[in-house]
Amino acid sequence: MDLEDVFSSKIRMKILKIIAQVGELNVSEIARRLNINHRTTSEHLKILEDEGILQRKTFGRIRLYRLNAVSPKAKAVQNLIEVWERANE
Amino acid sequence: MATSYRSVFKDESKLDINYIPNRLPHREKELRLLMEFFSFLLRFPGKMAQRVMITGDVGTGKTVLSQRFGVDITQEAKKLGVNLRYVHVNCREYRGNLFLIMQHVVSIFHPNFPKRGYSAEELLGILMQILDEENTHLILALDEFESLVEREGSEAVYKLTRMQEIRQNKPQRLSLVCILRSLKVIEQLDASTRSTLQSNIISLENYSKQQLVDILHDRVSLAFKPLTVPEETIELASELAFSEGGNARFGIELLWRAGKYADAEDLGMVTPDCVRKAVSSIYPSMRKSDLAFLGHHEKLFLLGVARLFKENQKAYVSLKEAEQAYAVVCEEFNVKPHSHTQLWKYLQELSNVGILKTEVSTVGSRGRSTIIYLPRISASELEKELNAILEREGA
Repeated sequence: MDLEDVFSSKIRMKILKIIAQVGELNVSEIARRLNINHRTTSEHLKILEDEGILQRKTFGRIRLYRLNAVSPKAKAVQNLIEVWERANE
Repeated sequence: MATSYRSVFKDESKLDINYIPNRLPHREKELRLLMEFFSFLLRFPGKMAQRVMITGDVGTGKTVLSQRFGVDITQEAKKLGVNLRYVHVNCREYRGNLFLIMQHVVSIFHPNFPKRGYSAEELLGILMQILDEENTHLILALDEFESLVEREGSEAVYKLTRMQEIRQNKPQRLSLVCILRSLKVIEQLDASTRSTLQSNIISLENYSKQQLVDILHDRVSLAFKPLTVPEETIELASELAFSEGGNARFGIELLWRAGKYADAEDLGMVTPDCVRKAVSSIYPSMRKSDLAFLGHHEKLFLLGVARLFKENQKAYVSLKEAEQAYAVVCEEFNVKPHSHTQLWKYLQELSNVGILKTEVSTVGSRGRSTIIYLPRISASELEKELNAILEREGA
């Protein structure tokens, strides 16, 4: 997927922002915090996971997502968010 | 202009209940034994899980022993390249609920792990999965283990101890240190659960008075500025901790409170009377009615003792010194002093009601002599109270 396609979604940007801030979250909690439904959340998470930006850990029914520590894309996203947030402070 | 504040403390965090000292006086042997129990785990990680029980009365160092062990074994494991975590949980804090305890343990590895939606058993399985994925071994210390047994009974303990057995051909990753006051509670468990626990037991004896003196000395050197805590103060705090069943924690807390009293009055030194004030702040101070019911000469004798302690800032006085002080008080109140035998009886009475405490000393004099402690009330407070009562009685 191209850069503009990944970042064109407001929900995906919000997901990345929240995970960058918190570190790790499960699907229901992400959906709750963003006030969107579970299914939509899962779809966006899958896109970000397929791009290698997010990493998933499954514990029974629980799926936890975090930034993929070994992905350069994830590092770039983390940097972008940090710089952006700091500049807006 | 701001006045300079001279605290007696160098680092009061060294008296905090959560502080883990580098050295555990009089628990070295037990610490070595604990390390020995787990040495196999370090040499052959995953081959065997360990279960140890630490028992002992309040203030015998169970928690600090386990925590010191946790720090030491984690460092040792790091040196050997073994992934090992030590997690200390107070079961009472989680109301003895296995689900809440497991939730806490899992949250150490995954802080945002969802708080609902599964059972304690599932959480235990999740924990094992985490340990497998991270190739980590966990020593889980369950402090106040009684509370888990009392609430959950055999089933929870069985789940914890048998978890390894249902994971056939997988590395052994979960070891337990169960910390409890007495093994009695274990009798509530069914036989098979009991058998999984009761193999390695470390029983901590109550500290002797001399051992408490050593422990308090150690903490004083860490927490207080040099020369601010005289021997008499340590002696008295140790005596009080000893009378609380050899409770070192009580002695350490007393020192901290006594230091606070010293600072509040800007004394620059922690006197035995600061310890007495500290103890009366921990316990409800003696009831005034206790004093009112004493006989007239008992009150006079006690007044003499209170003045003696107030003047000389000692931890204890001899019966002879108390008799002399009593004679002075009798002179002041214009009454004839009672005999030595009578005073001895008064002393026993006062000791029985807990106002004074006596001990027979064989040190430094010929034969045996009686020494008197004023354990639970500050000398000045006692003097004030007695003066008020005697005045009301029109003495």
